[in-house]
Amino acid sequence: MGQKIIARTLSEAIEALAKYDCNIVAGGSDIMLQKRNTAGELPRFEKDVLFIANIEELHKEYVDEEGLHIGATMTLEEILRHELTPNVLKDCLKELASVNIRHFATLPGNIANASPAGDTIVVDILLDAKLKLTSIRGVRYVSAEDFVQGVRKIDLAKDELIEEIIFPKYDFDKLIWFKVGSRKAESISKLAFAAAYKLDGEKIASIRLAFGSVFMKAIRSHELEKELEGMSLKELGSRVEEFTEKYGKVISPIDDQRSTKSYRLEVTKNIVRDFLTTLAKGGN
Amino acid sequence: MAKIKFTLNHKKLEVEVDPSRRLLDFIREDMHLSGTKEGCGEGSCGACVVLMDGYSVNSCLIPMANVEGHEIITIDEFKNTKEFEVLYAAFSEEGGSQCGFCTPGMIIASQSLLSHNPHPSEEEIRAGLAGNLCRCTGYQAIIQAVKLASEIGGNLWDKK
Ligand SMILES: Cc1cc2nc3c(=O)[nH]c(=O)nc-3n(C[C@H](O)[C@H](O)[C@H](O)COP(=O)(O)OP(=O)(O)OC[C@H]3O[C@@H](n4cnc5c(N)ncnc54)[C@H](O)[C@@H]3O)c2cc1C
Ligand code: FES
Ligand code: FES
Repeated sequence: MGQKIIARTLSEAIEALAKYDCNIVAGGSDIMLQKRNTAGELPRFEKDVLFIANIEELHKEYVDEEGLHIGATMTLEEILRHELTPNVLKDCLKELASVNIRHFATLPGNIANASPAGDTIVVDILLDAKLKLTSIRGVRYVSAEDFVQGVRKIDLAKDELIEEIIFPKYDFDKLIWFKVGSRKAESISKLAFAAAYKLDGEKIASIRLAFGSVFMKAIRSHELEKELEGMSLKELGSRVEEFTEKYGKVISPIDDQRSTKSYRLEVTKNIVRDFLTTLAKGGN
Repeated sequence: MAKIKFTLNHKKLEVEVDPSRRLLDFIREDMHLSGTKEGCGEGSCGACVVLMDGYSVNSCLIPMANVEGHEIITIDEFKNTKEFEVLYAAFSEEGGSQCGFCTPGMIIASQSLLSHNPHPSEEEIRAGLAGNLCRCTGYQAIIQAVKLASEIGGNLWDKK
């Protein structure tokens, strides 16, 4: 204990993780707050600390045949300003924290923090994003959906680092991001909703709905999405209430200081109802 | 402890410091630059904001490790610039400062905004200052002040 390592390269970082039991610090916007001490005193880290913000080789965003890659040391504001970033992720980032925080916070930090109110996780699971986890043992990929297991529980071994996030190519007519908060900036979400769909004439070719802040982790219902796929818009129009109720059962809202269960459940159902009603009329 | 090299208010420094030390404590306690304030200590009020490579960041959440290789400007240096003079005049004119506690952070956040977007709309000003709280003025005067600064500044903030 007591080691504090500033990594400048990926290999320095994973070697340190293999050798010591570390807290990883990227931007620090979550972890520096968690370890906060009285003014003037050092933050209270109980483990060794690995600082990764200076790893220049992970400071990149690019596209290849796999999809869009966002490196671990890109700041949220850089991602927001990047031409390759999908609009649905930009819409999410625009409302995340404040521009001051976005100037140093990162995407893996938001995911690894695994707060039920983590906004970008909702977009990650909507877009089937996967994480590249790197250690001296090698590389492994895990979907964002499986990576977050519960409140502050993640599928990350002690020696692993999230090297980048990969968004596979997708084909939708429309993507939506929607957040109900209490103050315009810095509103930790009371509820976040993201959706995507593609129509094939009068039929739903594909559809995804993702929710944040309503459950212990961001969620989608693959079963309900399968039920909706292939359905004609006309049929959907007559079954909006049924699916609104079904989605109400999928999400199981949590009580916290920001909002109550029944409020979240009602708001979620209203959002689903509006979304499906609009979609049944042909979208937009 | 680690050796950290960076630029603070245009001076190249190489300091022996704990990498987890908050940039805010380094600025206020080690460098005795007291213009940068601590409000919430949690990233939500903006009183501690400084420029890192020209972008506003909350120094209460930034560990010294993360300033390695970067350029930090605090209000104590920024107050010697033309941009500051214009912002100061505009804040005075519009009544954008009362008790003054939030003002260093507001000025730094305004500079970060204007240097990347010299002629922001009202909405863009609101977004740019959304991480800076003020208990006195009710914000409208501050928004007006930034708007005024962007006007009287002429092409001061336009990319050189
Ligand atoms: C005032 C304020 C407002 C906020 N508002 C919002 C909001 O509206 N919505 C929202 O979702 N969040 C919000 N946040 C939370 C926060 O800003 C984000 O979660 C941020 O994206 C975290 O990124 P970071 O780089 O600062 O993470 P850090 O604090 O550096 O790290 C967070 C966690 O992730 C781990 N980690 C970081 N990078 C890696 C990596 N590459 N590999 C493995 N583990 C890693 C760390 O070990 C730590 O456990 C807010 C925070 C503050 C202070
Ligand atoms: S003191 Fe840093 S944001 Fe409030
Ligand atoms: S002038 Fe008093 S807090 Fe803003």
